[in-house]
Amino acid sequence: MENNIVISVKNLHKSFKLPTERAWGLKQAIFNRLKGIKGYKEQKVLNGINFDIRRGEFVGIVGRNGSGKSTLLKTLAKIYFPEKGSVEINGNLIPFIELGVGFNPDLSGRENVYLNGALLGFSNKEMDAMYDEIVDFAELREFMDQKLKNYSSGMQVRLAFSIAIRAKGDILLLDEVLAVGDAAFQQKCSNYFASIKNHQTVVLVTHNMESVKKFCSRAILIEKGRIKLDGEPQKIAEAYNNLWKQ
Amino acid sequence: MAIPNFLYKGNRVLLKELTKTDFKLRYQGSVLGYLWALLRPLMMFAILYIVFGKLLRFGSDIPHYPVYLLTGTTLWSFFTECTNQGIQAIVVRGELIRKICFPKYIIVVSATLTAIINLLINLVVIIVFALINGVTPSWTWLIVPFVVCELYALSLGISFLLGAINVKYRDITSIWDVCIQALFYAVPIIYPITMIASTNLTAAKIILLNPIAQCIQDIRYLLITSETVTTWNFVGTENPVWKFIPLIIVIIILTWGSWYFRKKSKKFAEEI
Repeated sequence: MENNIVISVKNLHKSFKLPTERAWGLKQAIFNRLKGIKGYKEQKVLNGINFDIRRGEFVGIVGRNGSGKSTLLKTLAKIYFPEKGSVEINGNLIPFIELGVGFNPDLSGRENVYLNGALLGFSNKEMDAMYDEIVDFAELREFMDQKLKNYSSGMQVRLAFSIAIRAKGDILLLDEVLAVGDAAFQQKCSNYFASIKNHQTVVLVTHNMESVKKFCSRAILIEKGRIKLDGEPQKIAEAYNNLWKQ
Repeated sequence: MAIPNFLYKGNRVLLKELTKTDFKLRYQGSVLGYLWALLRPLMMFAILYIVFGKLLRFGSDIPHYPVYLLTGTTLWSFFTECTNQGIQAIVVRGELIRKICFPKYIIVVSATLTAIINLLINLVVIIVFALINGVTPSWTWLIVPFVVCELYALSLGISFLLGAINVKYRDITSIWDVCIQALFYAVPIIYPITMIASTNLTAAKIILLNPIAQCIQDIRYLLITSETVTTWNFVGTENPVWKFIPLIIVIIILTWGSWYFRKKSKKFAEEI
């Protein structure tokens, strides 16, 4: 792999087996086998995706619902295995398919930060180093020893979001999360994303064309599991909006 | 092979954090809290001791029968807790698996580690109980951890195997409940194995080929009295190969379970 390429996707295919009738449980499985029913329908989601992402690029992935964006992101995060083709990652990748994965309402804010960190592969020592920054960004210092269930939902999402952007990784994957919380916090997030453009590699799945134009240095439009367009964020945002005009 | 990246630091940290969380949350909101880990096996023991020891007069020929019974119930509780938690672990943590990538076996191991911690605490209780009951300490006590490891290996193997199937077919949880009920009577926990042996020698030998029975009897032998009938001194008097059947079963289940789990774990995120 070329030196400054951090993500390399080659001819990526992925399909899912969707159960046609209630193929849940042992009884139905045996029944289906006896009757020779397949019990599922194959759904092609990714259909030969190719792209390279260079260090420092802020890539927005856009497309309609069901076009395969999230599946692509999950394959990049190694949650799904490629069915055909390959995904090569060069560096430490931090996935945020959803904010606050593994958050537990019965643990304190502090415990949740460390648990979340461990899930992302950080040791306690590494988390110690990031902890203050996370808490400061979330502006939740006096609440860290409270249980998470006593947080407002805005506070919870602020904490989760702060972990996401303060986690020290080479590549950041974000699914539909750019700005959370109240107006002041959203402004803070917006400033943050503007500031990391050209420094931090980010892959972002979104429907918000304003953020694509504002933050991304490149965008990819996906349609029916294929790349339809890849290039300037301005152009891609236009093409996205035109999808519904045809 | 589920274990080779075990030494990788990130995985160890995750294992520790998940176990700590499980442990903290298990008895949250209950007044007696962690004491329940001790009280449950002791209560089960008390019931069984009153019914079988006092009313039905089981085990009158066994020295230190109360300790003998307590050892059996504690190890049985460990086995059921370990497998129940282990089998359900992947489904319970489904949300995590769908959102983040990490070695899946960590979830199963962390779920069973809580059972191990409970067992260790209960073993201390057994030892105190044994000393009060007049059991003389012996160097054979030092071998007990190895037999516990064997029982743990079996539980882990079952958890991996059935846990992986349980992702797709949730019936496994219910089936295992019934199996646990049946196994309880197939293992000499409340009744002395000599009781079976006096009426049907072959049946007693078959019972002792079960690795759970072998482990429980071995630990009773090592901890309480060398009069205990074990697989080693009872089965395979003509052909010693039979003595190793329980151990072989454990090895097969653990290997098969880990292999199957590893093969299936790639698809957990999609199927759960």
